[in-house]
Amino acid sequence: MATVEERIRAITTKKLGVEDMKLEDSFTADLGAESVDSIELVAMFEEEFGIEMDEDAALAVETVGDAITFIRKVCKEQGVETEE
Amino acid sequence: MRLILIDSLRENRSNFYPLVLGRPIWELRCGMNSLEDKLVAKIDPDETAYFVPDYMGSYYRTQVAKPVNDVTTLAGDDLLLVDPSVKAADFDPALARGQAPPAEAGVAARGPSEIGVNEQGQVLYARITEEDVGGLTAGSIEKFVASAKASLPNVKCRLSTWDYTWDLVLANCQEITTEFAALGQSGIEGDVEEPLAIRGSKKDVYVAPGAKVHPMVTLDAEHGPIYIDEGTEIHPFSRVEGPCYIGKNSLLLGAKCREGNSIGDVCKVGGEVEESIIHGHSNKYHDGFLGHSYVGEWVNLGAFTTNSDLKNDYSSVSVMLDGRRSIDTGSTKVGSLIGDHVKTSIGTLLNTGSYVGAMALIMATGKPLPKHIPSFGWFIEGIVTKGFGKGRLYETAKTAMSRRGRQWTQQAEEMWDAVFEITSPVRKAAIKKGRRRLSM
Repeated sequence: MATVEERIRAITTKKLGVEDMKLEDSFTADLGAESVDSIELVAMFEEEFGIEMDEDAALAVETVGDAITFIRKVCKEQGVETEE
Repeated sequence: MRLILIDSLRENRSNFYPLVLGRPIWELRCGMNSLEDKLVAKIDPDETAYFVPDYMGSYYRTQVAKPVNDVTTLAGDDLLLVDPSVKAADFDPALARGQAPPAEAGVAARGPSEIGVNEQGQVLYARITEEDVGGLTAGSIEKFVASAKASLPNVKCRLSTWDYTWDLVLANCQEITTEFAALGQSGIEGDVEEPLAIRGSKKDVYVAPGAKVHPMVTLDAEHGPIYIDEGTEIHPFSRVEGPCYIGKNSLLLGAKCREGNSIGDVCKVGGEVEESIIHGHSNKYHDGFLGHSYVGEWVNLGAFTTNSDLKNDYSSVSVMLDGRRSIDTGSTKVGSLIGDHVKTSIGTLLNTGSYVGAMALIMATGKPLPKHIPSFGWFIEGIVTKGFGKGRLYETAKTAMSRRGRQWTQQAEEMWDAVFEITSPVRKAAIKKGRRRLSM
Protein backbone atom coordinates (compact mmCIF):
# COMPACT_ATOMS: atom_id res chain seq x y z
CA MET A 1 0.00 0.00 0.00
CA ALA A 2 1.25 3.52 -0.74
CA THR A 3 2.00 5.93 2.07
CA VAL A 4 -0.32 8.73 3.17
CA GLU A 5 1.91 11.23 1.42
CA GLU A 6 1.94 9.27 -1.85
CA ARG A 7 -1.83 8.87 -1.80
CA ILE A 8 -2.39 12.58 -1.12
CA ARG A 9 0.01 13.53 -3.91
CA ALA A 10 -1.74 11.14 -6.35
CA ILE A 11 -5.19 12.59 -5.60
CA THR A 12 -3.94 16.16 -5.82
CA THR A 13 -2.36 15.40 -9.19
CA LYS A 14 -5.56 13.77 -10.41
CA LYS A 15 -7.72 16.67 -9.33
CA LEU A 16 -5.50 19.67 -10.03
CA GLY A 17 -3.37 18.26 -12.84
CA VAL A 18 -0.14 19.22 -11.06
CA GLU A 19 2.70 16.65 -11.25
CA ASP A 20 5.38 18.30 -9.13
CA MET A 21 4.54 19.67 -5.74
CA LYS A 22 6.48 20.53 -2.62
CA LEU A 23 5.27 19.96 0.92
CA GLU A 24 5.14 23.69 1.52
CA ASP A 25 3.05 24.36 -1.60
CA SER A 26 -0.31 26.01 -0.92
CA PHE A 27 -3.24 24.31 -2.61
CA THR A 28 -4.69 27.66 -3.62
CA ALA A 29 -1.73 30.02 -4.14
CA ASP A 30 0.75 27.53 -5.65
CA LEU A 31 -1.30 24.66 -7.06
CA GLY A 32 -4.20 26.72 -8.43
CA ALA A 33 -7.06 25.18 -6.46
CA GLU A 34 -10.23 27.24 -6.53
CA SER A 35 -12.79 27.01 -3.74
CA VAL A 36 -14.79 24.35 -5.56
CA ASP A 37 -11.60 22.31 -6.10
CA SER A 38 -10.93 22.44 -2.36
CA ILE A 39 -14.36 21.01 -1.62
CA GLU A 40 -13.80 18.23 -4.13
CA LEU A 41 -10.33 17.48 -2.77
CA VAL A 42 -11.80 17.06 0.71
CA ALA A 43 -14.39 14.66 -0.70
CA MET A 44 -11.72 12.70 -2.61
CA PHE A 45 -9.46 12.43 0.45
CA GLU A 46 -12.40 11.18 2.51
CA GLU A 47 -13.19 8.54 -0.08
CA GLU A 48 -9.54 7.52 -0.48
CA PHE A 49 -8.91 7.06 3.24
CA GLY A 50 -12.42 6.05 4.33
CA ILE A 51 -12.59 8.88 6.86
CA GLU A 52 -14.94 11.73 7.77
CA MET A 53 -13.34 15.15 8.09
CA ASP A 54 -14.83 18.20 9.76
CA GLU A 55 -15.31 20.53 6.82
CA ASP A 56 -14.16 23.68 8.62
CA ALA A 57 -10.98 22.02 9.86
CA ALA A 58 -10.30 20.34 6.51
CA LEU A 59 -10.79 23.51 4.50
CA ALA A 60 -8.51 25.41 6.87
CA VAL A 61 -5.61 23.22 5.73
CA GLU A 62 -3.40 25.28 3.44
CA THR A 63 -0.41 23.25 2.26
CA VAL A 64 0.30 19.74 1.03
CA GLY A 65 2.38 19.10 4.13
CA ASP A 66 -0.43 20.31 6.40
CA ALA A 67 -2.83 17.99 4.57
CA ILE A 68 -0.57 15.01 5.20
CA THR A 69 -0.34 15.85 8.91
CA PHE A 70 -4.06 16.51 9.20
CA ILE A 71 -5.12 13.32 7.42
CA ARG A 72 -2.69 11.19 9.45
CA LYS A 73 -4.25 12.64 12.58
CA VAL A 74 -7.83 12.00 11.43
CA CYS A 75 -6.96 8.45 10.34
CA LYS A 76 -5.49 7.78 13.76
CA GLU A 77 -8.51 9.27 15.56
CA GLN A 78 -10.93 7.22 13.45
CA GLY A 79 -8.93 4.00 13.70
CA VAL A 80 -7.99 3.83 10.04
CA GLU A 81 -4.67 2.07 9.43
CA THR A 82 -2.20 3.69 7.02
CA GLU A 83 1.29 3.04 5.67
CA GLU A 84 4.05 5.48 6.61
CA MET B 1 -63.17 26.97 23.77
CA ARG B 2 -59.45 26.67 23.26
CA LEU B 3 -58.08 25.32 20.00
CA ILE B 4 -54.93 23.24 20.48
CA LEU B 5 -52.97 22.68 17.29
CA ILE B 6 -50.65 19.70 17.57
CA ASP B 7 -47.75 18.98 15.26
CA SER B 8 -45.72 16.89 17.63
CA LEU B 9 -47.54 13.56 17.43
CA ARG B 10 -47.47 12.76 13.73
CA GLU B 11 -45.14 10.00 12.64
CA ASN B 12 -45.37 11.15 9.04
CA ARG B 13 -44.68 14.86 9.26
CA SER B 14 -41.84 14.06 6.85
CA ASN B 15 -44.60 13.96 4.20
CA PHE B 16 -44.33 17.74 4.34
CA TYR B 17 -40.53 17.93 4.28
CA PRO B 18 -38.57 20.01 3.53
CA LEU B 19 -41.11 22.77 4.22
CA VAL B 20 -41.90 21.75 7.81
CA LEU B 21 -38.32 21.23 8.94
CA GLY B 22 -38.37 24.78 10.26
CA ARG B 23 -42.07 25.40 10.89
CA PRO B 24 -45.17 23.55 12.09
CA ILE B 25 -47.54 22.15 9.49
CA TRP B 26 -50.21 24.79 10.16
CA GLU B 27 -47.83 27.50 8.91
CA LEU B 28 -48.01 26.00 5.43
CA ARG B 29 -49.97 28.13 3.03
CA CYS B 30 -52.66 27.41 0.48
CA GLY B 31 -54.72 30.03 -1.29
CA MET B 32 -54.60 33.34 0.55
CA ASN B 33 -54.00 31.95 4.03
CA SER B 34 -52.13 29.47 6.18
CA LEU B 35 -53.69 26.20 7.31
CA GLU B 36 -53.98 27.72 10.80
CA ASP B 37 -55.86 30.73 9.42
CA LYS B 38 -58.31 28.37 7.74
CA LEU B 39 -58.87 26.27 10.87
CA VAL B 40 -59.31 29.31 13.11
CA ALA B 41 -61.73 30.91 10.66
CA LYS B 42 -63.85 27.78 10.59
CA ILE B 43 -63.66 26.75 14.26
CA ASP B 44 -63.84 30.24 15.75
CA PRO B 45 -62.05 29.44 19.04
CA ASP B 46 -61.72 31.86 21.93
CA GLU B 47 -57.99 31.23 21.99
CA THR B 48 -55.33 29.05 20.41
CA ALA B 49 -52.26 27.21 21.72
CA TYR B 50 -49.60 25.20 19.94
CA PHE B 51 -47.65 21.98 20.41
CA VAL B 52 -44.69 21.67 18.06
CA PRO B 53 -41.78 19.19 17.94
CA ASP B 54 -39.45 19.90 20.88
CA TYR B 55 -36.55 20.97 18.69
CA MET B 56 -38.48 23.93 17.25
CA GLY B 57 -40.24 24.99 20.47
CA SER B 58 -37.83 27.74 21.54
CA TYR B 59 -37.63 29.17 18.05
CA TYR B 60 -41.39 29.09 17.51
CA ARG B 61 -41.92 30.98 20.75
CA THR B 62 -39.97 33.84 19.18
CA GLN B 63 -42.32 33.81 16.19
CA VAL B 64 -45.74 33.80 17.86
CA ALA B 65 -47.38 35.44 20.85
CA LYS B 66 -49.55 32.44 21.77
CA PRO B 67 -48.48 29.59 24.10
CA VAL B 68 -46.13 27.00 22.64
CA ASN B 69 -45.63 23.53 24.20
CA ASP B 70 -47.26 24.75 27.39
CA VAL B 71 -49.10 21.91 29.17
CA THR B 72 -51.02 24.38 31.33
CA THR B 73 -53.07 25.16 28.20
CA LEU B 74 -54.49 21.63 28.50
CA ALA B 75 -56.79 22.67 31.35
CA GLY B 76 -59.27 25.35 32.38
CA ASP B 77 -61.47 25.38 29.30
CA ASP B 78 -63.23 23.20 26.75
CA LEU B 79 -60.57 21.98 24.35
CA LEU B 80 -60.49 21.07 20.69
CA LEU B 81 -57.23 19.37 19.81
CA VAL B 82 -56.68 19.24 16.08
CA ASP B 83 -54.18 17.61 13.78
CA PRO B 84 -53.29 20.47 11.44
CA SER B 85 -53.43 18.27 8.37
CA VAL B 86 -57.22 18.04 8.74
CA LYS B 87 -58.90 20.27 6.20
CA ALA B 88 -60.72 23.18 7.80
CA ALA B 89 -63.72 22.64 5.55
CA ASP B 90 -64.58 19.53 7.58
CA PHE B 91 -65.33 21.58 10.67
CA ASP B 92 -68.86 22.76 10.12
CA PRO B 93 -69.17 26.46 10.90
CA ALA B 94 -72.83 25.99 11.78
CA LEU B 95 -71.64 23.78 14.61
CA ALA B 96 -69.01 26.12 15.91
CA ARG B 97 -71.19 27.64 18.59
CA GLY B 98 -73.00 24.58 19.78
CA GLN B 99 -75.97 24.21 17.44
CA ALA B 100 -77.39 20.73 17.05
CA PRO B 101 -75.57 18.95 14.23
CA PRO B 102 -77.65 18.00 11.20
CA ALA B 103 -77.16 14.53 9.72
CA GLU B 104 -74.02 14.13 7.57
CA ALA B 105 -72.57 17.35 8.98
CA GLY B 106 -68.91 17.96 9.55
CA VAL B 107 -67.22 17.80 12.92
CA ALA B 108 -68.78 19.99 15.57
CA ALA B 109 -66.24 22.30 17.15
CA ARG B 110 -68.17 22.28 20.41
CA GLY B 111 -70.08 19.53 22.14
CA PRO B 112 -69.59 16.46 24.31
CA SER B 113 -66.18 14.84 24.55
CA GLU B 114 -65.26 12.80 21.51
CA ILE B 115 -62.02 11.52 19.97
CA GLY B 116 -61.96 11.32 16.18
CA VAL B 117 -59.58 8.69 14.86
CA ASN B 118 -58.85 7.63 11.33
CA GLU B 119 -58.63 4.06 10.05
CA GLN B 120 -55.00 3.84 11.17
CA GLY B 121 -56.00 4.79 14.70
CA GLN B 122 -54.37 8.21 14.47
CA VAL B 123 -56.14 10.95 16.41
CA LEU B 124 -57.34 13.66 14.00
CA TYR B 125 -59.22 15.67 16.59
CA ALA B 126 -60.09 15.43 20.26
CA ARG B 127 -63.00 17.40 21.58
CA ILE B 128 -62.80 17.45 25.35
CA THR B 129 -65.11 19.28 27.72
CA GLU B 130 -63.63 21.17 30.64
CA GLU B 131 -65.23 18.66 33.04
CA ASP B 132 -63.51 15.72 31.33
CA VAL B 133 -60.13 17.44 31.12
CA GLY B 134 -59.55 16.97 34.84
CA GLY B 135 -59.59 13.19 34.57
CA LEU B 136 -56.80 13.03 32.01
CA THR B 137 -53.05 12.71 32.39
CA ALA B 138 -51.53 16.09 31.69
CA GLY B 139 -47.76 15.65 32.09
CA SER B 140 -47.11 15.97 28.37
CA ILE B 141 -49.13 16.38 25.20
CA GLU B 142 -48.34 12.79 24.23
CA LYS B 143 -49.64 11.41 27.54
CA PHE B 144 -52.63 13.74 27.45
CA VAL B 145 -53.76 12.60 24.00
CA ALA B 146 -53.11 8.94 24.81
CA SER B 147 -55.13 9.29 28.00
CA ALA B 148 -57.99 11.01 26.17
CA LYS B 149 -58.01 8.33 23.49
CA ALA B 150 -58.08 5.58 26.10
CA SER B 151 -60.81 7.02 28.33
CA LEU B 152 -63.16 9.08 26.15
CA PRO B 153 -65.54 7.91 23.39
CA ASN B 154 -63.73 7.23 20.11
CA VAL B 155 -65.44 7.72 16.76
CA LYS B 156 -64.11 6.52 13.45
CA CYS B 157 -63.94 9.48 11.11
CA ARG B 158 -63.00 10.04 7.52
CA LEU B 159 -62.01 13.65 7.66
CA SER B 160 -60.22 14.81 4.57
CA THR B 161 -56.59 15.71 5.16
CA TRP B 162 -53.69 17.38 3.45
CA ASP B 163 -51.36 14.41 3.00
CA TYR B 164 -48.41 15.87 1.13
CA THR B 165 -47.09 19.31 0.28
CA TRP B 166 -48.12 18.96 -3.35
CA ASP B 167 -51.76 18.63 -2.23
CA LEU B 168 -51.56 22.29 -1.25
CA VAL B 169 -50.10 23.32 -4.58
CA LEU B 170 -52.72 21.40 -6.52
CA ALA B 171 -55.55 22.96 -4.46
CA ASN B 172 -54.19 26.49 -4.64
CA CYS B 173 -56.37 27.79 -7.49
CA GLN B 174 -59.58 26.66 -5.83
CA GLU B 175 -58.55 27.94 -2.41
CA ILE B 176 -57.73 31.41 -3.74
CA THR B 177 -61.08 31.57 -5.49
CA THR B 178 -62.99 30.41 -2.41
CA GLU B 179 -61.16 32.72 0.00
CA PHE B 180 -61.42 35.74 -2.29
CA ALA B 181 -65.18 35.24 -2.43
CA ALA B 182 -65.41 34.78 1.35
CA LEU B 183 -63.43 37.96 1.95
CA GLY B 184 -65.81 39.93 -0.25
CA GLN B 185 -63.32 42.67 -1.11
CA SER B 186 -62.92 44.08 -4.59
CA GLY B 187 -62.01 47.31 -6.31
CA ILE B 188 -58.97 49.51 -6.65
CA GLU B 189 -57.85 51.13 -3.40
CA GLY B 190 -54.18 51.42 -4.32
CA ASP B 191 -52.43 53.54 -6.97
CA VAL B 192 -52.97 52.37 -10.50
CA GLU B 193 -51.32 54.10 -13.45
CA GLU B 194 -52.88 53.98 -16.90
CA PRO B 195 -52.84 52.26 -19.24
CA LEU B 196 -53.97 49.27 -17.24
CA ALA B 197 -55.80 46.38 -18.83
CA ILE B 198 -58.26 44.48 -16.68
CA ARG B 199 -59.71 41.41 -18.37
CA GLY B 200 -62.78 39.73 -16.91
CA SER B 201 -64.90 41.31 -14.23
CA LYS B 202 -63.52 44.21 -12.20
CA LYS B 203 -65.37 42.69 -9.26
CA ASP B 204 -62.76 39.93 -9.32
CA VAL B 205 -59.83 42.31 -8.78
CA TYR B 206 -58.72 43.89 -5.52
CA VAL B 207 -55.77 46.26 -5.26
CA ALA B 208 -55.19 47.10 -1.59
CA PRO B 209 -54.24 50.53 -0.24
CA GLY B 210 -50.58 51.30 -0.70
CA ALA B 211 -50.20 48.90 -3.61
CA LYS B 212 -48.88 50.38 -6.85
CA VAL B 213 -49.65 49.08 -10.31
CA HIS B 214 -47.41 50.64 -12.93
CA PRO B 215 -48.54 51.38 -16.51
CA MET B 216 -48.68 48.58 -19.08
CA VAL B 217 -49.82 45.90 -16.68
CA THR B 218 -52.50 43.32 -17.48
CA LEU B 219 -54.68 41.93 -14.71
CA ASP B 220 -56.54 38.99 -16.24
CA ALA B 221 -59.36 37.98 -13.93
CA GLU B 222 -61.33 36.17 -16.59
CA HIS B 223 -60.71 32.77 -15.02
CA GLY B 224 -60.26 33.74 -11.39
CA PRO B 225 -59.85 36.57 -8.89
CA ILE B 226 -56.71 38.62 -8.28
CA TYR B 227 -55.82 40.02 -4.87
CA ILE B 228 -52.87 42.42 -4.68
CA ASP B 229 -52.11 43.16 -1.04
CA GLU B 230 -50.85 46.30 0.68
CA GLY B 231 -47.57 47.85 -0.36
CA THR B 232 -47.03 45.54 -3.32
CA GLU B 233 -45.70 46.98 -6.56
CA ILE B 234 -46.33 45.58 -10.04
CA HIS B 235 -43.81 46.79 -12.60
CA PRO B 236 -44.60 47.43 -16.28
CA PHE B 237 -45.16 44.53 -18.67
CA SER B 238 -46.29 42.20 -15.90
CA ARG B 239 -49.26 40.00 -16.67
CA VAL B 240 -51.13 38.61 -13.67
CA GLU B 241 -53.69 35.86 -14.25
CA GLY B 242 -56.25 34.91 -11.66
CA PRO B 243 -56.73 33.13 -9.43
CA CYS B 244 -53.77 34.85 -7.81
CA TYR B 245 -52.81 36.23 -4.42
CA ILE B 246 -49.82 38.52 -4.05
CA GLY B 247 -48.94 39.25 -0.42
CA LYS B 248 -47.85 42.49 1.19
CA ASN B 249 -44.81 44.51 0.13
CA SER B 250 -43.87 42.26 -2.76
CA LEU B 251 -42.54 43.22 -6.14
CA LEU B 252 -43.41 41.79 -9.55
CA LEU B 253 -40.85 42.66 -12.17
CA GLY B 254 -42.26 42.24 -15.64
CA ALA B 255 -43.49 38.87 -14.49
CA LYS B 256 -45.59 36.41 -16.42
CA CYS B 257 -47.61 35.50 -13.35
CA ARG B 258 -49.80 32.70 -14.60
CA GLU B 259 -52.86 31.32 -12.78
CA GLY B 260 -52.83 29.81 -9.31
CA ASN B 261 -49.98 31.64 -7.59
CA SER B 262 -49.79 32.57 -3.93
CA ILE B 263 -46.83 34.81 -3.38
CA GLY B 264 -45.91 35.60 0.21
CA ASP B 265 -45.13 38.90 1.80
CA VAL B 266 -41.90 40.67 0.81
CA CYS B 267 -41.08 38.58 -2.27
CA LYS B 268 -39.50 39.71 -5.52
CA VAL B 269 -40.74 37.75 -8.49
CA GLY B 270 -39.91 37.90 -12.17
CA GLY B 271 -39.95 35.47 -15.08
CA GLU B 272 -42.75 32.95 -15.47
CA VAL B 273 -44.50 31.53 -12.43
CA GLU B 274 -47.48 29.17 -12.54
CA GLU B 275 -49.58 27.52 -9.81
CA SER B 276 -46.91 27.94 -7.15
CA ILE B 277 -46.82 28.89 -3.50
CA ILE B 278 -43.95 31.07 -2.33
CA HIS B 279 -43.38 31.94 1.31
CA GLY B 280 -42.19 35.32 2.54
CA HIS B 281 -38.82 36.93 1.84
CA SER B 282 -38.07 34.68 -1.12
CA ASN B 283 -36.83 35.92 -4.45
CA LYS B 284 -37.16 34.70 -7.98
CA TYR B 285 -36.07 38.00 -9.41
CA HIS B 286 -35.05 36.99 -12.90
CA ASP B 287 -36.27 35.05 -15.91
CA GLY B 288 -36.83 31.32 -15.66
CA PHE B 289 -39.90 29.14 -15.11
CA LEU B 290 -41.32 28.02 -11.77
CA GLY B 291 -44.40 25.83 -12.00
CA HIS B 292 -46.49 23.75 -9.58
CA SER B 293 -43.89 24.32 -6.91
CA TYR B 294 -43.80 25.09 -3.21
CA VAL B 295 -41.01 27.44 -2.12
CA GLY B 296 -40.05 28.13 1.49
CA GLU B 297 -38.88 31.41 3.00
CA TRP B 298 -35.57 33.22 2.46
CA VAL B 299 -35.02 31.35 -0.79
CA ASN B 300 -33.13 32.89 -3.67
CA LEU B 301 -33.55 31.36 -7.11
CA GLY B 302 -30.76 32.57 -9.39
CA ALA B 303 -31.37 33.87 -12.89
CA PHE B 304 -32.73 31.25 -15.29
CA THR B 305 -33.47 28.79 -12.54
CA THR B 306 -36.14 26.67 -14.18
CA ASN B 307 -38.13 23.68 -13.04
CA SER B 308 -40.03 21.06 -14.95
CA ASP B 309 -43.58 20.33 -13.77
CA LEU B 310 -44.62 17.94 -16.51
CA LYS B 311 -42.91 14.79 -17.72
CA ASN B 312 -42.32 14.25 -21.42
CA ASP B 313 -44.54 11.16 -21.40
CA TYR B 314 -47.33 12.89 -19.43
CA SER B 315 -47.21 10.19 -16.76
CA SER B 316 -47.78 11.00 -13.09
CA VAL B 317 -44.90 12.62 -11.26
CA SER B 318 -43.06 10.91 -8.44
CA VAL B 319 -41.16 12.65 -5.64
CA MET B 320 -38.39 11.30 -3.39
CA LEU B 321 -38.93 12.82 0.04
CA ASP B 322 -36.31 10.69 1.79
CA GLY B 323 -33.78 10.39 -1.03
CA ARG B 324 -34.49 6.71 -1.55
CA ARG B 325 -38.15 5.88 -2.11
CA SER B 326 -40.25 7.43 -4.87
CA ILE B 327 -43.80 8.44 -4.01
CA ASP B 328 -46.27 8.57 -6.85
CA THR B 329 -48.11 11.90 -6.54
CA GLY B 330 -50.93 10.72 -8.80
CA SER B 331 -50.68 14.03 -10.62
CA THR B 332 -49.15 14.80 -13.99
CA LYS B 333 -48.26 18.29 -12.78
CA VAL B 334 -45.85 18.58 -9.86
CA GLY B 335 -42.86 20.88 -9.84
CA SER B 336 -40.34 21.35 -7.03
CA LEU B 337 -40.42 21.38 -3.25
CA ILE B 338 -37.84 23.92 -2.16
CA GLY B 339 -36.93 24.31 1.51
CA ASP B 340 -36.18 27.46 3.50
CA HIS B 341 -32.93 29.33 2.85
CA VAL B 342 -32.17 27.44 -0.38
CA LYS B 343 -29.94 29.29 -2.83
CA THR B 344 -29.69 28.27 -6.48
CA SER B 345 -27.10 29.49 -8.94
CA ILE B 346 -27.81 30.89 -12.37
CA GLY B 347 -29.03 28.32 -14.83
CA THR B 348 -30.22 25.76 -12.29
CA LEU B 349 -32.43 23.12 -13.91
CA LEU B 350 -34.77 21.27 -11.58
CA ASN B 351 -36.28 18.00 -12.72
CA THR B 352 -40.00 17.19 -12.48
CA GLY B 353 -40.91 16.48 -8.85
CA SER B 354 -37.62 17.70 -7.40
CA TYR B 355 -36.88 17.97 -3.69
CA VAL B 356 -34.40 20.60 -2.58
CA GLY B 357 -33.79 20.36 1.15
CA ALA B 358 -33.66 23.33 3.49
CA MET B 359 -30.40 25.33 3.53
CA ALA B 360 -29.19 23.53 0.41
CA LEU B 361 -26.89 25.44 -1.90
CA ILE B 362 -26.88 24.67 -5.60
CA MET B 363 -24.12 25.45 -8.06
CA ALA B 364 -25.55 24.21 -11.30
CA THR B 365 -23.57 22.42 -13.97
CA GLY B 366 -26.01 22.90 -16.83
CA LYS B 367 -27.58 19.48 -16.45
CA PRO B 368 -30.85 18.82 -14.63
CA LEU B 369 -30.18 18.21 -10.95
CA PRO B 370 -30.77 14.88 -9.21
CA LYS B 371 -34.35 14.74 -7.97
CA HIS B 372 -33.33 14.83 -4.32
CA ILE B 373 -30.87 17.31 -2.86
CA PRO B 374 -30.61 16.81 0.92
CA SER B 375 -30.93 19.62 3.44
CA PHE B 376 -27.64 21.44 4.07
CA GLY B 377 -26.19 19.78 0.97
CA TRP B 378 -23.82 21.75 -1.23
CA PHE B 379 -24.44 20.61 -4.79
CA ILE B 380 -21.21 21.31 -6.61
CA GLU B 381 -19.82 19.93 -9.88
CA GLY B 382 -22.73 17.52 -10.20
CA ILE B 383 -22.47 15.90 -6.77
CA VAL B 384 -23.69 16.53 -3.23
CA THR B 385 -20.82 17.57 -0.98
CA LYS B 386 -20.32 18.90 2.52
CA GLY B 387 -19.19 22.12 0.89
CA PHE B 388 -18.08 24.71 3.38
CA GLY B 389 -20.40 23.32 6.02
CA LYS B 390 -23.41 24.67 7.85
CA GLY B 391 -21.50 27.54 9.46
CA ARG B 392 -21.07 29.20 6.08
CA LEU B 393 -24.76 28.59 5.26
CA TYR B 394 -25.72 30.28 8.53
CA GLU B 395 -23.53 33.26 7.63
CA THR B 396 -25.34 33.54 4.30
CA ALA B 397 -28.72 33.31 6.04
CA LYS B 398 -27.67 36.04 8.49
CA THR B 399 -26.61 38.30 5.62
CA ALA B 400 -29.80 37.70 3.64
CA MET B 401 -31.97 38.41 6.68
CA SER B 402 -30.09 41.51 7.76
CA ARG B 403 -30.61 42.98 4.28
CA ARG B 404 -34.34 42.93 5.07
CA GLY B 405 -33.98 44.14 8.64
CA ARG B 406 -34.47 40.70 10.19
CA GLN B 407 -32.26 38.96 12.70
CA TRP B 408 -30.83 35.47 12.76
CA THR B 409 -31.30 34.46 16.37
CA GLN B 410 -29.70 31.99 18.74
CA GLN B 411 -33.03 30.12 18.81
CA ALA B 412 -33.05 29.91 15.02
CA GLU B 413 -29.52 28.54 15.01
CA GLU B 414 -30.36 25.92 17.64
CA MET B 415 -33.40 24.82 15.65
CA TRP B 416 -31.41 24.55 12.42
CA ASP B 417 -28.66 22.67 14.29
CA ALA B 418 -31.33 20.14 15.24
CA VAL B 419 -32.56 20.00 11.65
CA PHE B 420 -28.95 19.39 10.57
CA GLU B 421 -28.86 16.32 12.84
CA ILE B 422 -32.33 15.10 11.80
CA THR B 423 -31.39 15.27 8.14
CA SER B 424 -27.88 13.91 8.61
CA PRO B 425 -28.42 10.26 7.53
CA VAL B 426 -29.95 11.22 4.18
CA ARG B 427 -27.26 13.84 3.57
CA LYS B 428 -24.43 11.47 4.49
CA ALA B 429 -25.70 8.87 2.04
CA ALA B 430 -25.84 11.48 -0.74
CA ILE B 431 -22.35 12.77 0.09
CA LYS B 432 -20.97 9.23 0.10
CA LYS B 433 -22.51 8.58 -3.29
CA GLY B 434 -20.98 11.83 -4.56
CA ARG B 435 -17.52 10.95 -3.24
CA ARG B 436 -17.62 7.62 -5.02
CA ARG B 437 -18.50 9.31 -8.30
CA LEU B 438 -15.74 11.84 -7.83
CA SER B 439 -13.09 9.20 -7.26
CA MET B 440 -14.03 7.04 -10.24
